[in-house]
Order: sequence, then C-alpha cells, then structure tokens
Amino acid sequence: MTDGPLIVQSDKTLLLEIDHPLSTECRRAIAPFAELERSPEHIHTYRLTNLGLWNARAAGHDAEQVIDTLLKYSRYAVPHSILVDVAETMSRYGRLRLEADPVHGLILVTTDTAVLEEVIRAKKIAPLLGVRIDAQTVAVHPSQRGHIKQSLLRLGWPAEDFAGYVDGQHHEIDLVQNGWKIRQYQELAAEGFWHGGSGVVVLPCGAGKTIVGAAAMAHAKATTLILVTNTVAARQWREELLIRTTLNEDEIGEYSGSKKEIRPVTIATYQVMTKKKNGVYSHLDLFDTHDWGLIIYDEVHLLPAPIFRFTADIQSRRRLGLTATLVREDGLEGEVFSLIGPKRFDVPWKEIEAQGYIAPAECIEVRVTLTEQERLAYATAEPENKYRHCATAVTKRKIVEELVKQHADDQVLVIGQYIDQLDELQAVLNVPIIKGDTPIKEREHLFGLFRQGKIKCLVVSKVANFSIDLPEASVAIQVSGAFGSRQEEAQRLGRILRPKADGRTARFYSVVSRDTIDQDFAQNRQRFLAEQGYSYRIIDADDVYQGKI
Amino acid sequence: METRSFADYLRGLDDPGLLSLFALRPDLVSPVPHDIASLAVRANSAPSLARAVERLNEWQFQVLEACAALDEPMVEKEILSVTNPSAKFVLPHLVSMALLYKSSDGYRLPSSLREVLGNEPAGLGPASMAKLSMKKLDEAPEAAKKVLEKLTWGPPRGSVGDIRNPGPGIAWLLKENFLVPFDQRTVILPRNVAIYLRGGKIHKHPSPNPPVLTGRLVAQKTSDRAAIANVSTILRWYEEILNFWSEEPPSALRAGGLGVRDLKTAAQHLGVDENCAAFVAELVYLNGLVAIDADDRILPTHAFDIWLTQSPQIRWRSLVSLWLVTSRVSGLVGRAESKHISALGPELDRVNAAATRRLTLETLSQHPEISPDLDSLLALIKWKAPARRNPGLQGDLITWTLREAEWLGVTGQGAISKYTLALLNGREDLEIDSELPKPIDHILIQGDNTAIAPGRLEIAVARVLDSIADIESRGGATVYRFSESSIRRGLDHGKTGEEIKEFLRKTSKTPIPQPLDYLIGDVAKRHGRLRVGNTSSYLRCEDPTLLSQIVSDKKLEGLPLRRIAPEVLVCDLDANEMMIALRSAGYMPAAESNTGVLITGQRVSRAKSKPRPPRVIGELETPTEETLAAALRALRAAERSSHKQTSLREIAANALGSLPRTTANETLDLLHKFIVEGETLSIGYADNNGSVTHRIIDPLSISAGSLIARDHGTGEIQTFRIPRITGVATL
Repeated sequence: MTDGPLIVQSDKTLLLEIDHPLSTECRRAIAPFAELERSPEHIHTYRLTNLGLWNARAAGHDAEQVIDTLLKYSRYAVPHSILVDVAETMSRYGRLRLEADPVHGLILVTTDTAVLEEVIRAKKIAPLLGVRIDAQTVAVHPSQRGHIKQSLLRLGWPAEDFAGYVDGQHHEIDLVQNGWKIRQYQELAAEGFWHGGSGVVVLPCGAGKTIVGAAAMAHAKATTLILVTNTVAARQWREELLIRTTLNEDEIGEYSGSKKEIRPVTIATYQVMTKKKNGVYSHLDLFDTHDWGLIIYDEVHLLPAPIFRFTADIQSRRRLGLTATLVREDGLEGEVFSLIGPKRFDVPWKEIEAQGYIAPAECIEVRVTLTEQERLAYATAEPENKYRHCATAVTKRKIVEELVKQHADDQVLVIGQYIDQLDELQAVLNVPIIKGDTPIKEREHLFGLFRQGKIKCLVVSKVANFSIDLPEASVAIQVSGAFGSRQEEAQRLGRILRPKADGRTARFYSVVSRDTIDQDFAQNRQRFLAEQGYSYRIIDADDVYQGKI
Repeated sequence: METRSFADYLRGLDDPGLLSLFALRPDLVSPVPHDIASLAVRANSAPSLARAVERLNEWQFQVLEACAALDEPMVEKEILSVTNPSAKFVLPHLVSMALLYKSSDGYRLPSSLREVLGNEPAGLGPASMAKLSMKKLDEAPEAAKKVLEKLTWGPPRGSVGDIRNPGPGIAWLLKENFLVPFDQRTVILPRNVAIYLRGGKIHKHPSPNPPVLTGRLVAQKTSDRAAIANVSTILRWYEEILNFWSEEPPSALRAGGLGVRDLKTAAQHLGVDENCAAFVAELVYLNGLVAIDADDRILPTHAFDIWLTQSPQIRWRSLVSLWLVTSRVSGLVGRAESKHISALGPELDRVNAAATRRLTLETLSQHPEISPDLDSLLALIKWKAPARRNPGLQGDLITWTLREAEWLGVTGQGAISKYTLALLNGREDLEIDSELPKPIDHILIQGDNTAIAPGRLEIAVARVLDSIADIESRGGATVYRFSESSIRRGLDHGKTGEEIKEFLRKTSKTPIPQPLDYLIGDVAKRHGRLRVGNTSSYLRCEDPTLLSQIVSDKKLEGLPLRRIAPEVLVCDLDANEMMIALRSAGYMPAAESNTGVLITGQRVSRAKSKPRPPRVIGELETPTEETLAAALRALRAAERSSHKQTSLREIAANALGSLPRTTANETLDLLHKFIVEGETLSIGYADNNGSVTHRIIDPLSISAGSLIARDHGTGEIQTFRIPRITGVATL
C-alpha cells in the first residue's frame, strides 16, 4: 500500500483524488491512455477502455509504460486482472497494419499469422480483401480502406494505418497573428492532430476550436473542406478564417442551401451534404471530385450517418474532427474512432476555465411550482405529451420575464425547444426571435445587433445550439430542451462561455417545473456538466422574485 | 504358501517397522485387525494395495513395476540392473510400505500386487517358456525388426490379419518363438524378449529425478501485495453475493443447485466471469453462509451476520481451510461436457480434489517466489503423484486450483503468498489484519450525485450506504450513485429523509451538494403519499355518521374494523361474514361486486366448479370357456417346469452334500491355493436376494475382489464376488 492519488477499480475505472499533491503529475501520466469520464470537484473518474488503450498505442505508448504508471500512482494493489487485460488489449493493436505497397497498392500486413487467418475468415472482412500475397500479407481493395478499419475494430483487432495520406492540392495558408496569439493548448491540439495524421480534438465550447482548425490548415497548406452544422456557423467560420489566416474572400467558398461555391477552402453544411435528390445524395461527390488535402468535421458528435458512410471512402485524406463533447447519444463513438480517427487531444473544461480562456459559469436550476390547473392538465396528458406540457407551462413565462428584468444590463439568450412557447415568450418580452424559419440574412443581422449590444435579449430556438459565436452573451435562460440530452445542455452552456471583457461570471438558468418529468430530464441533462465540475444550484422561483439569486 | 510367508514376514517386523507401515498405509489399521494373519490378508488385498500404489511417485512406481516384471525372488542387483542404480534408495521405502518384502532368498511381492499392477506391467507381456537364443534376434529379417520395433516398448500385443497366414516378418518371429500367438488375430511379445530388446532395462524413460519447475520469478513482496488485494477482493465478493441474494434470492433447481441464469446474474453483479461466480457461490455454500430453504429459495443464513462481524483474517482462514479440504470441485460447473452440473448442486464431489489441491499448494510453497508455468507444474505434480486412473481430471484440478488460489489470495501473481505459508505452517497470526488497508469511516460526496469511499468502508457505514445509493464501481474504493430510486429504497428501509441527510452530513468529508439535498427532500416528500395494504372486505357509506355509529356499536365490538377514510371502513373478515354480522346487529348492508355493481341476493345456491362425476367401474365380464381353459393350460405348464427345476436342485444338493462354510480369510486362502492347483471346487454363493446356492466351479483367477471361474452348471466363465462366497470346499 502506498500513498498514491489513484485508485484502480476492478471495473477498469480509475479514481483520481484531486486534492492529493501528486494529482497533477498523475493526471498527466494517465491522460494518454485513460478516458476522462467525470471531473467533479474532489475525485475525477477515468476509464480504461479498449479505444483509449489503442489510442495510447497509436501515440507510441506501450503496455509496460501503462502498467508502470498504474502501479506507481496506485494507492492500493492493482487488481491483477486489470494488468493482464491492459497488456492483452494493447497487444492487439498493431498486429495488423495497413500499408501502401508499390506493387499491390493497399495491403494488410500482420506480424502474427494466426490473427490474419482469423480475420480473413471473418464474414464481414472477406469481401473487402483481394489476393493473398504471402503468409503475412493480403491485398486490400483501396476503396475499402475505411470499411476494413471499421470491421477490424469491431472484431477487436484494430489495424494501424500506415498507408499514409495524399497531400491534396497545395494551397498556401498561414496564420496571421496580429493582435492575438494562438493559445498554447490550441497549438498543442493542432500539433497533436498533425502528428497523428487524423483524429479528433475535444475542447470545451468557447475554447476556440475554429483556431485549432485554422492552425491545422496552416500545417496542411492544402485545399480544405470544412463541414459544419448550419449556414450561420458556415459564415462564422468564414469570418474567423478571414481574420485569423492569410486567406482572402475569394479563396473561401460556401457550399450550402443557398450558395454552391467551390473554392480552395470550401465550407459545406451537413444539411446540404445529406440532401437527397431522387433518392441519391447528389452533393456527396464534393468529397471525391476535388483533391482536398484536409477535411474538417465541426461538431463531430453530430455527424450524420450518410457522412460516416462517405468518410469511409476517403481514408487517404487527412481528417480532423472537432467537438466539445464526444458523447454521442447514439453510441457511435467507435465509428468516429475508426473513420475520423482516434482522439488526439482532450482537456478538462475546468482547466481551461482556470487558465481564463473560458468564462467561469454558474449554473442555476430555477424551480417553478405549477398551478393547480396546470398540474391537472399535466397529470391527465398522454405520456408522449407529458414533457411538452410541463416544459411549456405558462407559469414559466412569468419567471423568465422576471429573470430578464433582473439581468437588464446583461446580454441575455432565452433558449427553448418548442416554437410556440418561444413565440409567446417573444411576445411577452418584446424582443426579437430566431428560429428555424428565420431567413439567414435576418439571423445574421440580429446576431450582429446582439454582438454590438444593440439588442440586449434574444429568444432563440435550437438553431442556436451550436457554433453560434456570441462573445458578449453572459446569461442564458433555458426554458425547454430536447428531453434529457446531456450534449445539448453542454452546448447551450457553451454559448455563454466566451470570456467576458470584464471577467464577469456567466449565468446559466434552467427553468424547471417542480414535481414533473421536466425535473427528471433536467437531472439527466445536467449530468454531463456536473461531471465536468459544474455544480448546479437549485433555487425556488419565489427566491427570484425576492431578488435572492 | 505365499500369503503365509508374507504374513511371516509381517510377523517378523519390529514395532517401528509396523508403525511406519501403518503411517504409510493408514487404511490397514482402520479398523484394527485382530491378528497379524488378518493384517497380512488386508495388506495383500487389492484395494489396499491399489491405495498404497496411488501414493507412490513416478520413480517409486517405476521401480515397483520393474520388480513386477522380474521373476520372484528378485535380488537387489537384478532390480538395479533393469532400472537405475538410484533405485537402491527407493527399495527400502517400498519395503516399508510392504509393497515388497524380503524373504530368505530375495525380494518378493505380495501375491495380489501383480493384479493391481495389471497383467502387463510396464508394457511387458508374459514370459516365454521356450528356450530362446537372443542372439538370433540380431539376424532377424528387416520385416521382423519392424514388427519388433513396434512392440518393444509396449503394449506387447499386436494384431495380425490371420494367425495362420501371417506376413513374412511375423512368420519368422513365430517360428523362432520370439512372438507367441495369443488368439486368432493377436500375437504377443514375450517379456524376456522385450527386456532383451529394451537393452536389459524396463522403462524407456526412467525418471529418478523430479522434473524442474520453471516459471516467472515474482518477488515475495510483489506477490504478497497482489495477494492481499485478492484477499480483500474475495472477502468483498463474499459480502456482495450474499447481500445480493438476500435481496433477490435465486431459486434452487429441482435437481438442487443454482441455475445457469441465476449464476449469470450473480456473475454480472460481482463483475466477474461465471467460473469465478460459481467458485464464490460454492465457497459461501460450504461456509454455511447460504442455505437452500424449504421453499427452494437460496438465502443467506444467520451465520452470515456473524461472519460480517469477524475480522478479515478469521474469515479468510476459514474459507481457505474449507477450500483445502473440500472434495467439491466448482471448476466442473458450466463446462460444455458437463452441462447438468450446477453450483450448490450434487455431483460436484471428486475423489482426488482435496489431495490434488494440497499437493499443488505444497509444490507451490516448496518453490516460493515463482509463478510456475502450467505445463511445468503439471509435469512435476504428475511425477509426484501419477494419476493413473484419471489423468485428465488431475490436470483440470491443478489448473483450477491455480485459478482459485489466485482468486483467494492464496497466491499473488501466481506465486504463493506469505499469508498462505503462515496458514500452512499453522501460525496464529497471518498478518492479514495488519496489512489490509484500515477500514475508513468517511465518504466524499460530489456535485454529480456520486459518493466515493476511498477505501474499504466500515461495515455499519457500508450497510447504510448500500441501502440509500447504488454501487457504480467496486474495487479498492467504492463509487456510489444517489438516484431517486436509491433514495426511495432507503426510505422503504425505514429511514426518513432527515435521517438520510443527517447520516450523509456526518459521514461525508465534503458538504452535501445542494442538488443532492433537494433530491432527498423531494423523494422524501413524495414517499409514502400513496398507501397500499391488504384487506378482505370494505364497508362504505355516503353517510359518515352511520359509519361512526357502526364503529361504536357494542354489538359489533368483535369485528376487526378500521376506518381508513370518513366514508370507508375496512375489515379482515370475508364479505359474507361481515354481512351476516351486520344483519344480525340490525343493519341492512347490500353486497357490491368488484366493479361497484350491487349484487342481488341469490335465491338458489349453485356450485361454482365444473361437474366431475365419479368414474363408473364396471363389473367383471363372465369369462368364456376358452379363456378358462387357456388359463388352466398356462398354470399347469408353469407347475410342471417348476417341479422339474426343484427336483433337479434336490438331486444336485444331495450329490454335493451340505453347503460348505469357511471364514473370509480361509475362503481367500483356499481360492488362492486351488487356483494354483487347478482343482474343481464346490462353493456356496449368495445371489442378489440373499439366497445361497450351491455351485460347482473351476477357479481361474482372482482380481479386484472377484473370482473368475468356470461354472459347471452353465458351462460358462463367470465372475463371482468374493464377499458373496459363503464357503469353499473340495469335491
């Protein structure tokens, strides 16, 4: 028994005591191979996963190092089974390698013939393979590079991809650092990505993922395709790139519902890419017909399934995924790993907050009590409508009004799920609203006014969940959401995390109807942020009226 | 007489000699024989000899086999020459076990030993009687040499297509008597020829030395550290499986034991594989911590409550000691070839389990700081105790023992731990209590509604936490998660919301986060707002005053009425009885159906169940004359045949005189004697029903408690169980 800060559990979680003097050192040591699962105030939970261990192998760590680290920092004896498991899992990575061969094109090479024999007999793998070259080598159809990686990962024999990348069409891109400087973690992230070849960078909302993208482009110096969630985000990317890089307006194209420009740097939306015409995805050629040197996936946790399918076909191009939360509610993290690449960089939210790059935030759950009438309506509603009933209760309207009044000096966003609820709120608050059917032009105009401080308060629907850069927004009031989505909650908080000029603490209010499933969902939604160390405070609506916030 | 001289030899032994014999073969003194003669008989009986032979190691066995391959009496020089000079050191041991004894002219074997060792010791056939000139073998034709090569190291039998028309090689060998025909299709290589071909030796690979144990070196400190982790883990598994079963008791299978599904659930709960779960389940069962109740539920016993209060050292000692001595083998559970075997069920006992376990541990403790390679360990143990009857099972038993030893913390990283050494050496203090991390009494509660106990919790704290939070992660520390349902469970266990908060405030080193505080408050507020209970009937009335009147009515004092609302009374009586009681007290109740509809009184009573009239049993039909005649014919025929048999038996009995009677010892002696002399005997033999019949037999041989003899009555060779022979006499 030592006095280490780490406790290794038999279910492969690692508990790290934060107040321990060795905790920082230990965190650095385990970060390469363990996934940070939760980081609340006292004890952080990491997990040893197959993906994480393979990630570490990909980054050049071996099992012995991992085991040494565990033994060094562990407070109690490390369960033997874990050590065995780590060694075994890590040894599975790299036994199969994808390589480029001058004669046969793409080949799958092994150091362990038995493994190769096993995988070529697998039903899912066999059709992807070509001729057997020798005992250790088999040819792979070049177009199947992505699919074979996916299938091998599912079999538990992840292949290391040494087949390299095409450089793409050269295009000069550099960062222009006048009046600002790239932050250290952004640089580390871009470098981590570049050395790994492809992969995902995980940074909190507001931590400047766009800059990481720009830095990656500056590394690649090649034509780039950027995929983003919607048109407004596309415009923001464009503006950022114009400020931060040597690119000029003509070099950046927008490929969206309204414009179809293809330029050296093209920004496309997921929506247009996945639009079907006569049953075919007519825009997916965009990937293929141009010689991109780099493809950036913004908000990779939202990547739609058709794009996954297509990504599998372009494995020879460098791919960078950006996200704040690699939590996919659909559980497709494995696809992200095998198709976009392993996680290359990750930093706890609170650490960036401590460095002052994101604003400190306070999360407050405001509980309102429904009126008798509302309760009755809720109680008798059909189960599928229950959430809607309690989330859009009229009682919430009054408290939102009060909150907006109390934050008259702040830039306030009111965020919700249900359009009619938002329409009502807009009418009561007498402020502009942005929702799905608001034209892009109008949206940009309104966001512009908001940024300049000419509008103090905006009502927004879920269109503003992501990638909308509103630096001065310091208060968000959430009135309803997509049920228990943890990822949405994190994204919404992200809207107000840009550091404020006066260093103000951002406030995130979540208005919740007491004793209904609204409250249950709220609890689930808060889980991700609570695990990131954002603890919620619960207050009663009456306290708000009495000014006790 | 061989036995006599074996008995004489035993008679000649001094006290220490006899004592060491008894120590080496304890079965000889249970029960204590009356005299040396019966001791000799017992020591020469096949079961006792087989048991003694089981206790020999590979080398001792080889020497014994070599002795059996030689003609009696053998001299030491002869034995050494066919084995290895170091056999010299083995012979005294064999002698002290009375598997070999010295007579005036050299060593002899107890007469039954050859049967125990089998007809073909060391793969050698019977000796040839013919005069052989071994030199001729060197000139054998090529084909013959090939045949010899195949038979030399045994088995000595070879099959040929047809003995009258053998191949050229075999023909030559048969002609020269180097092969002996055995039957129509088999030839046999005589012993003396084989020994000559083996170069005057008996065994191809004499193994006077045990194989060397190879393995990974593990520092004692490392293995102790790993072992103590395993110790705390197994103790935790114990508690977890029992706590789990006390909440959700599995049902025992009809054949006894734990079903596959329940085993799987338990394995999932513990977070281990099913083999391990079966092992833990078996151990708690052995420990008497669970029992199968009368209603077939598997439940923890009161012993578990006592167990929880004991120190880890006492617990560990008790479970390891049990594991060492039990004959139950949990490794058998869940194997593809034995699907019907279940944990806690029958059929788990194996004869050699405990012995093999002990032997494995002894071997491990003789090689500390080594985590042995399985193959090397198997080879060594096979040398120490060759399992001739079921070698496959021995291998499995050793593999399982190693696996279980690791689970138990008997070993750590494969090498034996100092705790086990202390236990095996009978030391009082195993140092487990002092080296296990001290239990802690606090937790850390975090903002995400989890609580972490950074170490083993004190039992009282752990119990409360178990009731109010779900365990999310186990190991050195425990991670608990609070949720609505877990808090509700705590409230169901009789705690109030305030008590839970108070407990957390007291136990947590960190302040209770506000969301948790609210969660507890919310759940406590809602808990118990709805009340559920059982009742047999109710009484309702729109007029509360009438109900008040009934409650205070003296005439209805005996009725168990309870008012649960102003307009409702409940009663544990049946609705009908309640009506009768109310009517007799002068009230006018009406019955209500379960949908609230008024039931009008029935005028006539009718049974509710389906009619089931009794079966009609018809009278016997008058038999026809033909049937009667046929019956008579059958009867007569049976009578005649039985009469015939009886008279035959009488004739035989008269001819043979009365049934012979001899004592057990005499019987065996006489049989041995007459087998050699080849005389026809008359014996009394008890059949399955205990009736003794008279048989005339030609005894052929004795093996494993049976006499093989030709029965004159049937003319066939038959096996007679010796204990059933009531007596032997010559004709």
